[in-house]
Amino acid sequence: MTLDRVVWSMLQEALAVYRDSPRATAWLRTHVERYTEPVRIAVAGRSRIGKSTLVSALIGDEFAPLSSFVWYRGGTEPRAHVFSGPGRPHEVTIGRRGSRHHVEIGQFDRADRVVVEWPARTLRDIVLIDTPADATPEQVLGDADALLYLMRHVQDDDLKFLQAANDHPIARTAAVHTVAVLARADEIGAGRIDALSSAKQIARRYRRDVAVQPLCQNVVSVAGLLAVAARTLREDEFAALRVLSSLGREELEDHLLSADRFVGEQFPLAMEPAVRQALLERFGIFGVRLITALIRQGFDSQVKLTGQLVQRSGLGELRDSIAIHFTERREILKARSALLALDVLFRMEPRQNARKLMADLERVVASAHDFRELRLVAALQSGRTKLPAELQAEALRLVGAEGTAPLARLGFDYEADPRDQREALLDALVRWQAQAADVHAPNEHRKAAQIVVRTCEGLLPQFS
Amino acid sequence: MAPPWLDVLDETIGACVTHRRPDLEARLREKRAQQLDPKLRVLVVGESKQGKSQLVNALLNAPVCAVGDDITTTVPTFVQHADTPSAALVRNASARGSIFHTPTERIAVPIEQVTKQATAQHVVRAEIGIPRALLDSGLVLIDTPGVGDTRSAHTASTFATLMQADAVLLVSDATGELTSAEMTLLKKVMEACPNVTVVVTKIDLVPAWRTVVERNRALLARAGVRAKLIPVSSALRLRAAKTGDQRLNTESGFPELLACVQRDIVASADLLARRAVAVVASSALTQLVTPLREELTAHDSSRTVATISTLQEAQRRVDELRRRSARWQNVLNDEMADLISDVEYDLRDRTRKILREVDKTYDEADPAIGWDKFEQWLEDNLNEAATTNFAWLMERAEWVAAKVAKNFPVYREDLIPGSVLPDDLLEPASKLEKPKIEPFSVPQKLFTGLRGSYGGVLMFGLVTSLAGMPLINVISLGAGALFGGKSILDESDQRLKRRQAAAKAAAQRHVDDFFMKFSKDVRDSGRHIQRSLRNHFSTLAEELQETLLESARSAKRAVQDDQTERERRMREGRKELDKLVTLYKRVQALGGPTMELSA
Repeated sequence: MTLDRVVWSMLQEALAVYRDSPRATAWLRTHVERYTEPVRIAVAGRSRIGKSTLVSALIGDEFAPLSSFVWYRGGTEPRAHVFSGPGRPHEVTIGRRGSRHHVEIGQFDRADRVVVEWPARTLRDIVLIDTPADATPEQVLGDADALLYLMRHVQDDDLKFLQAANDHPIARTAAVHTVAVLARADEIGAGRIDALSSAKQIARRYRRDVAVQPLCQNVVSVAGLLAVAARTLREDEFAALRVLSSLGREELEDHLLSADRFVGEQFPLAMEPAVRQALLERFGIFGVRLITALIRQGFDSQVKLTGQLVQRSGLGELRDSIAIHFTERREILKARSALLALDVLFRMEPRQNARKLMADLERVVASAHDFRELRLVAALQSGRTKLPAELQAEALRLVGAEGTAPLARLGFDYEADPRDQREALLDALVRWQAQAADVHAPNEHRKAAQIVVRTCEGLLPQFS
Repeated sequence: MAPPWLDVLDETIGACVTHRRPDLEARLREKRAQQLDPKLRVLVVGESKQGKSQLVNALLNAPVCAVGDDITTTVPTFVQHADTPSAALVRNASARGSIFHTPTERIAVPIEQVTKQATAQHVVRAEIGIPRALLDSGLVLIDTPGVGDTRSAHTASTFATLMQADAVLLVSDATGELTSAEMTLLKKVMEACPNVTVVVTKIDLVPAWRTVVERNRALLARAGVRAKLIPVSSALRLRAAKTGDQRLNTESGFPELLACVQRDIVASADLLARRAVAVVASSALTQLVTPLREELTAHDSSRTVATISTLQEAQRRVDELRRRSARWQNVLNDEMADLISDVEYDLRDRTRKILREVDKTYDEADPAIGWDKFEQWLEDNLNEAATTNFAWLMERAEWVAAKVAKNFPVYREDLIPGSVLPDDLLEPASKLEKPKIEPFSVPQKLFTGLRGSYGGVLMFGLVTSLAGMPLINVISLGAGALFGGKSILDESDQRLKRRQAAAKAAAQRHVDDFFMKFSKDVRDSGRHIQRSLRNHFSTLAEELQETLLESARSAKRAVQDDQTERERRMREGRKELDKLVTLYKRVQALGGPTMELSA
């Protein structure tokens, strides 16, 4: 039975056992419901790090930030509800302020959470939760299956937050749910034109950093403002930017030296200061520099430019990362959340007849192969388990550190036909079986090899 | 003439020595040496990637510090005046050791390579000298690694350098207002060095930098920090220097920063020194005064109350112990009497069962055959009975010990004795005597047979002689044989009966002996156990009583002694405290921030 099914039946069984406790039943019902939903991803980080900007970039529509938890989920038409205290949620309208959408929650000064239904492609298989800056790790992760953590350079506070997020026995056995984002990548390079590529390099360094690596699955750098620009660039803005880029490079550079100069009086073009101010607010000084440079380089249609911006801002990489680490692993993330919820229940209301379930919980956590794979990934990445370099890379790939689809596991970067895949799989299986049976290898080495063998065996039915 | 702050500082150091606080003393001495040094150290601190190195570069209009997108500065870099540009790395001579007090070596390196080589191991700081008018007056700019970086060694070296600073420039960039971490850092800096200026950098990047500056000012005001806040843009300043654009320079905000450095730091070195000394000395004095005052208050009230309550508690416990020691003795006597009677009954029951078995066996069997086997069986059974019985005795004895322990007034680890049993038990009882077995040999059989046959031959011979047959004939001989056989059978039957009776009697005697011996042993060991338990517990009780009495006695003594001793110490403490408070007031007069401290 797959992990998915096992956990589902455990939830049902728990419902039967606890049917006389209204509190437990309500708790379990919400989790049963949550189990079938898309993955919930919380976006967290310090204040003004760009959480709402990133959420807007992912959705593709710009939303004004609010000071409470805001859930964005897919829907057929735009709607918003405010949950405040006990009682039914209130429907509120979504208005517009300038280029941004704004959820009018004016009359509720203390909203527990705001749920926005929005028709967007991204929201079909994820739910995004924008969190307030002062939320604790428990609050952030209580409702979320996965975490996008935004930071600039990794600071002690950031590590503390991530450690707290992993600080639970079950969470530790399945450290699967975090992608760290170096936000405001444009500012990392002090607004230089090559800032983004140097931010990418820094992200790569953090990916290998021993302090950061065990706490998250990936580190990507994203320039939030550019990412939003890429998704929401309007025609009038594009026209204005084209006009700007028609100016000589030297001359424009002079006026782009500082924000003050750009909106100042002595601008060589006949362009309203208000327009310039708006551009600056939307894209930042770095955004204007980069976009004008790109237009000059020949990305002079809106489509071409958008493609460039998605790629350069890091948004593309972030979306891939979300797909590989969260959407593809939906089942395991959901199972993990449900197991955490069951653990909470068993600790809050221990019962005689829940003994069997508690034992099941322990067994699933300890023995589910998916969790074992994750633990191996964590052990290999943190250096707790060491394999020879070429084996390490292959082991990581096979157990799904780079994606759980068979193609990714087998290391094909093209759509190989099933015969080739089967060949590659059998080859890997035989080699790893030899590794697992190698009496001269150290114990941990053999154990790791056994897990890889089990993974290969699990893949085999897909090709027969 | 020595400046007034020097006297105050020296007196504070003296106070630290009298109060045995070498740590504070070392800190103050360091400060003293540094204040006497004509150099003015200006520390540039802040979280990583806020533009600290770039700020230093822009202040000097020279690329002396390395700047980069990733964490770049790893060691403090001291920039000071020199007639010709020069640079050096200072390295810890020993591989390990703290930043202070370790032998160091200076290595001269070309100025353009200093920042590259600074990442090498064991480098504690880099020193750069360049000819600049700004540094002429002895100003030293210290660029530091970012605070809060994950590699804590960097942060540690920053804080170590902080101790030497005369003034601090706290750098925060304009992309966000001061974070709580930065506010904490600011407060920490203020403790070591009160002359802080907050510099908001990168204002060229942020359109709304004016709002950020306003918010920062409000944050500082709310936190009660009186620090100047200056927005600058290093990028604009460096570009202005390159192009010689005066207007751009003004825009960068640096003229204001430079003026501030000149006016507030260089020109008012004496004020800075006074302020710094005031802060450091008053923090040291506060540390001295606090424990002293606590001691005084403790003397006043709580101590006496505590002593008296200790005394009362000790007396109460002595009474309690006396009352309860009668109880455990009764328990021990009763339980042991029960135990011995139970064990004896059990033993008798077991031996009787064995005897019955013996009777049943020898109603049938012949002791002459397989006596050895029987002997073995009896021995085994008796042994088993003894062992079981004895084990039961031990078990019960332990249980009794536990029960007595439960009735003992206090709980201790060693309350239940380890072993209460005598070691020389279970000596074997006397050997089983073999009963007398009369052998029934062939001549005896022959004799008995002949004796029996004699009657038969005579009887039938006489009868047949009437019929004219001789006395000895076939019939008489046959009858003789018959009679002879019967008497042999009878005789052997009787002998078997006798043997069985003898065997039973022997077994009975043996079991009796065994019982006698073993029941005596059991009683003895019972009494032994009782005695050792009694000894054990009474020793414990005595010990306990002695401890309690001793603590009661000492508490009583303490109540009596305390009075005089305390008064003496109180007088001394007050005198000390008064002295420190006077010193503190003088420190305050130097012009530091006012803090409340009263005697």
